Amino acid sequence: MTASMRIASVRLLSKTRHYFSSEVAVQPGARTVHHQPASTRNVCLIPVAFLHKGRAYGTQSSSVTVTEEPDLLFQKLSVLVKSHDKAVLDSYEFFATLAAKELGLTLAKVFEPPKNIERLTLLKSVHIFKKHRVQYEMRTHYRCIEISRITGSTSRVYLEYIQRNLPEGVAMEVTKTAIEKVPDHIQMPLWSVQSQEKQGSQ
Amino acid sequence: MAASTFCPALLPLLRINCKFNGVYTRISLNRRAAYSLGLTASNGVERQGLPERGNQGQRRQRRAVEPRTERMTVDQDWTAVYPTAASFKPNSVPLPVRMGYPVKRGVPPAKKGNLELIKIPNFLHLTPEAIKKHCEALKPFCTEWPAALDSDAKCEEHFPIQVESKAYVSAGPSLRNPNARIITLTVKLSSLNLDEHARKKLIRLSGERYNKDTDTLTITTDSCPMKQQNYDYAMYLLTVLYHESWKTEAWEKEKTRADMEEYVWEDSPSQKNILETLLRMRPLGEKEEEGEVREELLGRVEVQEYKDSVTKLKNEGETETNMQQYKEAVKKLLNI
Repeated sequence: MTASMRIASVRLLSKTRHYFSSEVAVQPGARTVHHQPASTRNVCLIPVAFLHKGRAYGTQSSSVTVTEEPDLLFQKLSVLVKSHDKAVLDSYEFFATLAAKELGLTLAKVFEPPKNIERLTLLKSVHIFKKHRVQYEMRTHYRCIEISRITGSTSRVYLEYIQRNLPEGVAMEVTKTAIEKVPDHIQMPLWSVQSQEKQGSQ
Repeated sequence: MAASTFCPALLPLLRINCKFNGVYTRISLNRRAAYSLGLTASNGVERQGLPERGNQGQRRQRRAVEPRTERMTVDQDWTAVYPTAASFKPNSVPLPVRMGYPVKRGVPPAKKGNLELIKIPNFLHLTPEAIKKHCEALKPFCTEWPAALDSDAKCEEHFPIQVESKAYVSAGPSLRNPNARIITLTVKLSSLNLDEHARKKLIRLSGERYNKDTDTLTITTDSCPMKQQNYDYAMYLLTVLYHESWKTEAWEKEKTRADMEEYVWEDSPSQKNILETLLRMRPLGEKEEEGEVREELLGRVEVQEYKDSVTKLKNEGETETNMQQYKEAVKKLLNI
């Protein structure tokens, strides 16, 4: 336990808790106030469907803190790892899939995109000898792990864990698809109201 | 330790012990012997080499200590041996691993002093047990996905806007990747509050960014240097498109038939032709007002059917069903 706690406390993360009612219907007042944290304070007292509490930056002790910033929702999280060594990717895939299962994430797809070989043909000698060449190739192997329906806090936890244990010589590309509500300023048109007012005044 | 390196005088004693203590001692001695078979030879070599170095050196030569593997039990806590990523240490890993290209009529080299094993990244710190321990410690920081959003359709219904972004992790001279600033915003127009005119205008304004088949508007922004700025710019573009599409400019009244996105039957040559034809088909002698006759004719069911079939043909193109419908409508109209 101490060993694992030591590892967990290297980067202090904080938990987010989210509240949702059992009804599916979204109340019209629910906002995606992701970018306006100041105005969420009052809203979050109401348990609105799909309103999530966001993450805060942790305190010195590795305790779980809950903030009022709403949590992001990701419909899909795609992790693509690339390396020159296929065996390393096999082991990394085992690690990443086991970590996802332990954290309770749904693995949509785990597959291997076809490898990419880049070949070069260069002159073997420094000077002349055009007929004698040497050929090199660089093989890039890929592995893709797709996770569906994950919250912002969990994705941060999972990605940080995965990225800290990324082996040498492996690169990663993460594609996140976040889903959001239609913001307030796009709910109702401004100009139709104005034109109605003009007609009324006339 | 194997008995062979120590005083041979002790050997009979050990053998006597074996007899007394039974099989267990023998097995343990054999196991230790198996690990240290290679070591004893090398220890002997080192021991012989040491005195030749000379006692003149001020630094005392280190004695070779037994490897840690000797003292490892089968049920030890492996997470304590390799808690974090570390290079392969042959004296800490109790596995008889061999790696490398074998010499002729030989076997791959053993783990001691094997550079190949040190070079490749190992996952000794990420055994399933270790991963489970880490995940147990990380679980308090995770949140659950709302149970009500269990299908894609529901996600689409309540959260219509999708924002896609990429992040990159790689080693190199710089940690930054300029492609990480790109944001792609996707939204279905059916989820926005638009009327007919606003919808058509928005489609015109967005141009290439609108996909007719899936009814999605895709806005990709990469003009700002930071991801947050690009996201704000994408939302700004969406807002502007939405509000501009609701506006009706003065020059929009000059929209001609050529500008129309869809075929409209009213005031079209087809309508005029059919009305003329039907008027001529009427028996002579009945002098009624033009307007009333027209409305009466337009109100007939056959004329409506004809209108539907022509509109379908023009908008959707010529298909079997459309042509059949047109044929039936014409036959009914002209009483064939």
